[in-house]
Amino acid sequence: MKAGIIVFPGTNCDIDTEKACKYFGWETEFIWHDDTELNKYDIIFLPGGFSYGDYIRAGRLAKFSPAVMSLKDYVKTKRGFLVGICNGFQILCETKLLPGILSTNTNTKFICEEVELEVNHDGFPKSVKFAIAHGEGRYIADEQTLQGIQAKNMIFLRYKNNPNGSVLDIAGLYDKENRIIGMMPHPERGVFSETGNIDGKYFFEMLNKALTKETVAAT
Amino acid sequence: MKKYKADIIVTLKKGVRDPQGAAVDTVLKRTGIQEIAQVQTGKFFTLDVTGSDETNAKAKLDTICREVLSNPVLESYKVERFVEL
Repeated sequence: MKAGIIVFPGTNCDIDTEKACKYFGWETEFIWHDDTELNKYDIIFLPGGFSYGDYIRAGRLAKFSPAVMSLKDYVKTKRGFLVGICNGFQILCETKLLPGILSTNTNTKFICEEVELEVNHDGFPKSVKFAIAHGEGRYIADEQTLQGIQAKNMIFLRYKNNPNGSVLDIAGLYDKENRIIGMMPHPERGVFSETGNIDGKYFFEMLNKALTKETVAAT
Repeated sequence: MKKYKADIIVTLKKGVRDPQGAAVDTVLKRTGIQEIAQVQTGKFFTLDVTGSDETNAKAKLDTICREVLSNPVLESYKVERFVEL
């Protein structure tokens, strides 16, 4: 199993994500944002941070980097999983790989805390606690888009006590057809007991299971 | 090739909540300077754009505004100034 983590100038959750991937025994590499060779990876992460300083808006400039532009082919050919965490989710929305957009939190503050989430996925506990750390995490989409999201059962995570004003309490989306997951919470910060939370393991176990099944089927 | 200078203002679309504008509004109200000010925040950009003629340069500017400076899902933009250099 090979995981790739795209690194932009300003990314700061790349090493946390790498440690989490390695914990699950995945061969893990960093992908510089100028690289376009993505086909060797079974899973690609867009980690948290502030890509290109989040100038103009969060995730806006990252959408023009060669690595992100190549993600469209990676998704189209259904090569593997694409996971965007925090800034990664913002990038996925900016590139329209996931619908909607993330805007400034209703309370205008950068929120850094542990939140309770409701999970909509089989084989995952119904409720988990993940860390969040963002200033622009308020999920917005128009009525038509929201209807589409619900019809496709794409809402993966919902806040129990909505901290940022997201519509329908949306904290994460999962496009099962294209295997794209985007979420504001940080599962990679909940893998090692030293962080005081190990709920993030469920997320990586979910990916591990899905990918292992695939590898077995391919051989 | 002609060169033009453009000023662009990007704001949130009507109906999209503007928490920063609301915060400034609250401050104005609290200090008693202005009761309800309907503050709206946005971003200002100034840039040079080239083109074979005005129409061509304006089309290019439009692409820059839509693809780079704003996100049509929640923002709209307005070209405030467009002058030949």
